[in-house]
Amino acid sequence: MKNLFRKMEDEPWLFLAPALLIYAIFAIWPMIDVTMMSFQRWNGLDPERVFVGLSNYRYVLTQDAVFWTAFVNTVIWTLLSLVCPPLIGLLLALGLNQPLVGRSALRAIYYLPVIIAPIAVATMWRWMYDPFFGLFAQMLTNWGFGTSIPDFLGNRETALYWVFVAYVWQQVGFSMVLFLAGLQNVDRSLVEAAQIDGAGRWKTFRYVTMPAIMPTITIVLVLSLIQSIKAFDIVYGLTGGGPSQSTQMLALWAFTQSMQIFDFGRGGAISVILLLITVVIVIPYLRWSMKNEGRS
Amino acid sequence: MSHVEIRDLRKTYGAIDVVHGIDVDIDQGEFVVLVGPSGCGKSTLLRMVAGLEEVSSGAISIGARVVNEVAPKDRDIAMVFQNYALYPQMTVAQNMSFALELAGQGKAEIAEKVSRAAEILGLGPLLERKPAALSGGQRQRVAMGRAIVRDPQVFLFDEPLSNLDAKLRVQMRAEIKALCSRLGTTTIYVTHDQVEAMTMADKIVVLNGGRIEQVGRPLDLYDNPRNVFVAGFLGSPAMNLWPVEAVPEGLRLPGGGILPLPADRRPPIGTKLTLGIRPELLAPDPNGPIRATVTLVEPTGSETIIAVDIGGEQGTVLLKDRLDMAAGHEIRLSPVLDRLHLFDTQSGEVLSTYVE
Repeated sequence: MKNLFRKMEDEPWLFLAPALLIYAIFAIWPMIDVTMMSFQRWNGLDPERVFVGLSNYRYVLTQDAVFWTAFVNTVIWTLLSLVCPPLIGLLLALGLNQPLVGRSALRAIYYLPVIIAPIAVATMWRWMYDPFFGLFAQMLTNWGFGTSIPDFLGNRETALYWVFVAYVWQQVGFSMVLFLAGLQNVDRSLVEAAQIDGAGRWKTFRYVTMPAIMPTITIVLVLSLIQSIKAFDIVYGLTGGGPSQSTQMLALWAFTQSMQIFDFGRGGAISVILLLITVVIVIPYLRWSMKNEGRS
Repeated sequence: MSHVEIRDLRKTYGAIDVVHGIDVDIDQGEFVVLVGPSGCGKSTLLRMVAGLEEVSSGAISIGARVVNEVAPKDRDIAMVFQNYALYPQMTVAQNMSFALELAGQGKAEIAEKVSRAAEILGLGPLLERKPAALSGGQRQRVAMGRAIVRDPQVFLFDEPLSNLDAKLRVQMRAEIKALCSRLGTTTIYVTHDQVEAMTMADKIVVLNGGRIEQVGRPLDLYDNPRNVFVAGFLGSPAMNLWPVEAVPEGLRLPGGGILPLPADRRPPIGTKLTLGIRPELLAPDPNGPIRATVTLVEPTGSETIIAVDIGGEQGTVLLKDRLDMAAGHEIRLSPVLDRLHLFDTQSGEVLSTYVE
């Protein structure tokens, strides 16, 4: 074992190679391939791929109305994802950081949705949202609102937000766990010093807890952002992008173009646009975190 | 500044009693040190005075007011923590002014108080720095500055020097003592270091197992310890405590030597006792009654500390001279008979202190 670790220090490449190989096959090559595909016309079956220059991009950006619906939905989704799950996760973490009876069990319960496959979450919530047999319809009926049960996923004005509720339910545990870890770094004596200095709960949070969990907040926000941009399975499972494209998202639209409309060129162009958006957002974060790493 | 009264104070965590009925009076302006080994309840006691721990029973009064139910911020106290507890994102000036801002004081007033405290502590050039850019000693000073600006009734110190190196600790010890006596503020200071207690305190409270062993002025405790615990805890090197037996001529020491005592001082023959002699009150003497084997010689430059074995018991001798001696040497020692302590072996309580 000792020799193994020594080897690791001397020849890091040897240990990085297997992961790198898998990463190259399943992440880097598809990225290159999809980029090439975005400049071609291909239906997925023909042996020939035809080079068409920027025409896929031109079509997607100027003629594809669904692309812009999906774009706007993705922006709304991302903005909501930066606020709701982190905020609720933080509140849960603050609550579950107190000495409560059954705290560990509660932590596990709130985290549970994170480990459920998104497609299973979608199926579950589709049942619950069913306007006739669903849990919510039943609850509203029991409370005497039987005549005003909304068609949760059938109304194009609101469907996106009901899908988002299910997404929040699944994502909250993730933020919560990161915040709980961050809260362990809050120096107890600083909280006590603030108490003696005359700070109430809010001021203690503002001047002691917040600065201490700032790195965690950044990480949670960046990860929520990345997670939300690529939102796919939960929307796919709940609405499939409908009704009438009102819950369409960029990732889902790229999939639909390629796998259902069989226009791999346009699907590829949408994927590349999504990739560029993600890269533009993630690179500053990576630079920032590397700088921090260098400093520490 | 105010006096502090602690009456029958108890603290229990579930079924575990940590502090068992403590009574202490702290006079206005007095510097009181709570000292004792780890887990003796000294920090818990301090934290109860600060309001950071709930009182299980008993009463704490600051001035004439019982503060058991008063929030920490309203007790008019300031506390210096072991790890300084400076707000890392704030500058030195902001750290010092935070409490005043929370109290709603005016900007001019705050600036004046901060600059006065900075002047007292020599923090002027550091006011715009963040804590991370300060040395341990400087952080310690900022923590004190934060306490001073509030002009509290009572200063509370929780092992404030533990994180400093030995040299700085000696320096800060003197600084804190000088500062407190200059400001005249009532101070409660917690430490496990008996040297800090001896050098800084007007009054020492020795705690052990959640109980007070003895309260008094440093030299009174040093000269007249009430029991074996206090005798062994105060003083460095620690007092020699040897099992002895009363015989007609005096006391039979470990190793068989007889320490003669004046007739009126002899305990009843056959009594088993614990004899306490301070290391500095033993001296080499060719005719001395104590037969010892040297096990270790530690020259410190100004003094020589000799560890000895006396009939299977450990002992220490502190000499002002430099002696040419090595481990394995057989020597004889004589107590300088001006202060011997006899303790009851069973209870540990002092029976008599013999002063010549």
